[in-house]
Amino acid sequence: MNVYKAWPRLVPLLALLAIYAGLVAAGSGYAYRVATTVAIMGLLAASANLITGVAGLMTLGHAAFYGIGAYTAALASSDWGAPPVVTLLLAGLVTSLVGLLVAWLTRKLVSVHFAVATLGVGQVIYVTMLNWVDFTRGPMGITDIPGLGAHSDAGNLAIVTAVCAVLLWGLSRIIHSYFGNALRALREDERCVAAMGLSPARLKIQAMGLSCFCAGVAGALWAHSTRYISPADFRFTESISILAMVVVGGLGSLPGALLGALILTLFPELLRSLGDYRMMAISGIMFASILFLPRGLFGEASALRLLKRHFNWQGAQ
Amino acid sequence: MFDFLDIFFVQQLINGLAQGLVYALMAIGFTLIFGVLNVVNFAHGEVYMLGAFVGLLVIQVWAPPLVAVILVVVVVGLLLGVGLERVAFRPFRRFNDEASLKSKALREATLLSSLAISIFVRELTQTYFGSEMQAIPQRYLLMTPIKIGALNLVSGQLVILGVGLLMFLVLQYTLFHTRVGLSIRAVANNLSGATHVGINVGQTIIATFVIGSILGAVSGALVGLYTGNIYAQMGFAPGIKAFVAMVMGGLSSIPGAVISALVLGVSESIATQFISQGWSDLISYGLLVLTLLVFPRGLFGGSDERV
Amino acid sequence: MTQPLLQLNHLSRHFGGIAALHDISARVYPGELMGLIGPNGAGKTTLFNLITGFSAPSAGTIQFRDQLINGLAAEQIAQRGVARTFQNLRVFPNMSVFDNVSVGAIGRSAYGLCDALWGRAAKRDRISAATWRALEAVGLDQDAHAMAANLSYGKRKAMEIARALALEPALLILDEPAAGLNDSETAELAALLRRLNADGLTILLVEHDLNLVMGICSRILVLALGTLIADGSPTQVSNDPRVLESYLGVESAA
Repeated sequence: MNVYKAWPRLVPLLALLAIYAGLVAAGSGYAYRVATTVAIMGLLAASANLITGVAGLMTLGHAAFYGIGAYTAALASSDWGAPPVVTLLLAGLVTSLVGLLVAWLTRKLVSVHFAVATLGVGQVIYVTMLNWVDFTRGPMGITDIPGLGAHSDAGNLAIVTAVCAVLLWGLSRIIHSYFGNALRALREDERCVAAMGLSPARLKIQAMGLSCFCAGVAGALWAHSTRYISPADFRFTESISILAMVVVGGLGSLPGALLGALILTLFPELLRSLGDYRMMAISGIMFASILFLPRGLFGEASALRLLKRHFNWQGAQ
Repeated sequence: MFDFLDIFFVQQLINGLAQGLVYALMAIGFTLIFGVLNVVNFAHGEVYMLGAFVGLLVIQVWAPPLVAVILVVVVVGLLLGVGLERVAFRPFRRFNDEASLKSKALREATLLSSLAISIFVRELTQTYFGSEMQAIPQRYLLMTPIKIGALNLVSGQLVILGVGLLMFLVLQYTLFHTRVGLSIRAVANNLSGATHVGINVGQTIIATFVIGSILGAVSGALVGLYTGNIYAQMGFAPGIKAFVAMVMGGLSSIPGAVISALVLGVSESIATQFISQGWSDLISYGLLVLTLLVFPRGLFGGSDERV
Repeated sequence: MTQPLLQLNHLSRHFGGIAALHDISARVYPGELMGLIGPNGAGKTTLFNLITGFSAPSAGTIQFRDQLINGLAAEQIAQRGVARTFQNLRVFPNMSVFDNVSVGAIGRSAYGLCDALWGRAAKRDRISAATWRALEAVGLDQDAHAMAANLSYGKRKAMEIARALALEPALLILDEPAAGLNDSETAELAALLRRLNADGLTILLVEHDLNLVMGICSRILVLALGTLIADGSPTQVSNDPRVLESYLGVESAA
C-alpha cells in the first residue's frame, strides 16, 4: 500500500487517536472524565451509524434507547444491587428487545415515515421517563448509582474503553461482513434487495436489535460513570446530537462516527465557559458539515477501502 | 348535571378545534413544502415562534392596533420564508430537474440542514431573551371573556378560529384561482411536466416557502397573544405535532393534514381533562405511531404499488 | 410429458377500471429459452411484476414448480428460485461490482446477523464462490473491484444479470436485457444466454429487439393490449396473421 496516497485519509484517524491519547496522558480527573464521555459517545454514534448510515434508515429517537439502557442499569444496580457485569448485559438485552419490538412494528415503513415513527417512539419513551415517577423517579432522576468497580477516574476510563473497544470491534466486523453488504444494498434500493431473496423487514429488525444492544450498553456505561441520570439526558435534542455525530463523520463509516463523536463532544467542552452555547455549536457544525463535506470527514468509501486493504478482505469477508 | 357536562364538553371541543386549527395551518405549510420539494422543513416551528416574538416586539416598540400587528407579522413571515429557502434549502440544490429534486440525498441533507437551523435559531433566541415567558401588555391579551348562550369562551379562541378560517380561505383562493397557486399545484403534481410548460420551478419553490411561513408566523403570533406565553421553546411542540399531522394525513394531502391536525387538537384537549398535563403530550406521539402502524403511508397516503 | 416449471393460469390485473392484463394462461417448461414480445403498453412488465411478487394479480394463479406463488412476497419468490433483472437497470451504484453481485448470493444463502456474528467460514466461502462463478459467467471477473457507477452501460447490464445468477435460480427473468446495447454487445448477450440455457437454466425474456428474440428463443409469447395473442415457435409467430397485424405491421418479420 502506498503510504503517501493513503496519508490524507489517515490524518483524521490519527488525529482521533492522538487527541484521545492526549486526554489519557493529561492525567487530570477532568481529562479522564472527558475521555470517558468521548468513548461512550463513540459507541453510541457507531450504533446509530449502523441504522442510519449503513442501513439508510434515518432515526430521530436514538437517545431514547440509550436512555433505556441507562435506566435499566441504574435501577438494576440501585434497587437490586446487581454487579456491573450483569447490569451492562441486562441493559444491552432490554434495550435490544425494545429495539426489536419497535423495528418489527415499523417494518413496513420507509424513509420519512420511519424517521417520524422513531421520533414518535423516542418522545413516547422520553415522556414515560419523565412522568412514570414511581418507576423512574421522574424529573429528579436517579442519584447515587453504583460505579463500575473502579476506584478512580482513570480506572473507570480503562473499563469503559475496554467495553467500548470490544463492542466497536464487533460492529466493525458486522459492517464489513456480507450482512453489512446486505444492509448497504437495502439502503440503496429496498425493492431490489427483496428481488434478490433478502427480506428487508428481517434485515431492519436484525440491524435494530444489534444497534440498540450497543446503545443500551453505552447507556449503562454512562449511568455507572456519571452516577446520576435524568430524563433530560435523553431528550430529542440528544437524538439530534447523535445524528449530527454520524453525519459529520460520514454516513456509513464507523471511523467517521468515532470522529464525529470526538469532535461534537470535545468542541462544546472547549467552549464550556460559554455554557449554553453547546447546542448552537453542535447545530452550526452539523450545518457546515452537510454543506461543505456531504460525505463527512471520513466517508464510507474511504473507510471501507482502508479496512479492506489493511485486513486483506476481498469483496466483503 | 348533564347540562353541565355537555357545555363543558363543547367548550373543550372549541378549545381543541382552535388548537387543532393552529396545528392545521402549520401542517399545511409543511405539506405544501413537502409536496413541491419533497423535503421536510424542520425549521417551521421556529417560524411560528419568531412570528410570536416579532408580534411582541412590534407591540412593545410601536403599540399599534391588533390588525397592524398581524400585518407586520405577515410581512415578517414572508421574509422568513424567503430567507429560510435561501439558507437551508437552496445551497443543497444544484439542479432543478426532477431526479435531483426528488433524490434521497437532497431529502436527507435538507432534513438535517433545516434541523440544524431550527436548533440554532431556537438556542439563539433563548440566549438573547432568556428562557422565561415574555410579558405582554394587558390590552393585547386576547383574554376577554365572551358568553355565547351557556358557553363561556375567550376572545382569543374566536380570533384564532376566525383568522384561521380566513387564512384557510385565502389559501384555497390562492391555490386554485391564481397563477402562483397553479404553478405550485403543477410542480407538486408533475415536476418535469411543469418545467416543460415554462413554469419557473425556483420561483415556485420560494412562493411555497413564503405561503407556508406566513401561515406559520401568524399562527404563532395569535397563539402567543391568546395564551400570553411567548418563549423560545414554544415552536418545538407545535412544530412536531404539525409534522405528525402531515405524516398522518399522508404526506402530500392538504385535506388529510388538516383533518389529522384537528383530530390531534381535539384529542389533546379532551384528554387533558382525564390525564395529567405531562402524559397528554403522549397523545400526539402515541397517535402518530398507531396511525403509521395501521396505515404505513398515512391515512390518506397512496397504496404500496410502485416499481 | 415433463412438468412445467412456471404456470400462469387465467391471470388478470386491473388498475382501477383498466385491465392491464386479461386472462393470461401459459406454461414455461424447464430448459426453455422463452421470449415475450409485444408493443409498448402491452403489459409485459406488469406480467413480470406479477410473477416475481412485485404486484398481486386481481384474478388467476401462478404456479412455480407446482406451488402457488401469487400473493407471496418478492423475497420468498426469489428464494424459491426465480431471479429477475429490471427494465430500468437497478443496480447499487455506490458499491463495487463484487459487492453488487454478492447480494444475489447473500439472498440465496439467507445470510443474516447471526451468521455474521458467529458463523463459520463455510457459509461465507460459499457466497464468495457463488459470486465469483456468476462474475465469470458474464465475463466481469476482471472488473470485480470497480465501482458500479463507473462501469459502462453494457457492463452494468451484464452485472445485473450476474447478480441474478448469483441467486442460483431455476428460472431467470430478464426485462429488456438488450435495451441500449449496440450490435456487438447484443451478440455477446445472445451468446451468454445461449450458454446459460445450454447449462440448464430456464430463461424468460422480454425484448423489443426482434432479431435477438427470433434468433435465440425456442418459443415466443406475444402480448398485445393485455391479452396473449400467440404462443409458438419463432416461425409460427412471425407468420401468425394476428401478430403481424397488431404488432409487426403488414410487412412480414425478418
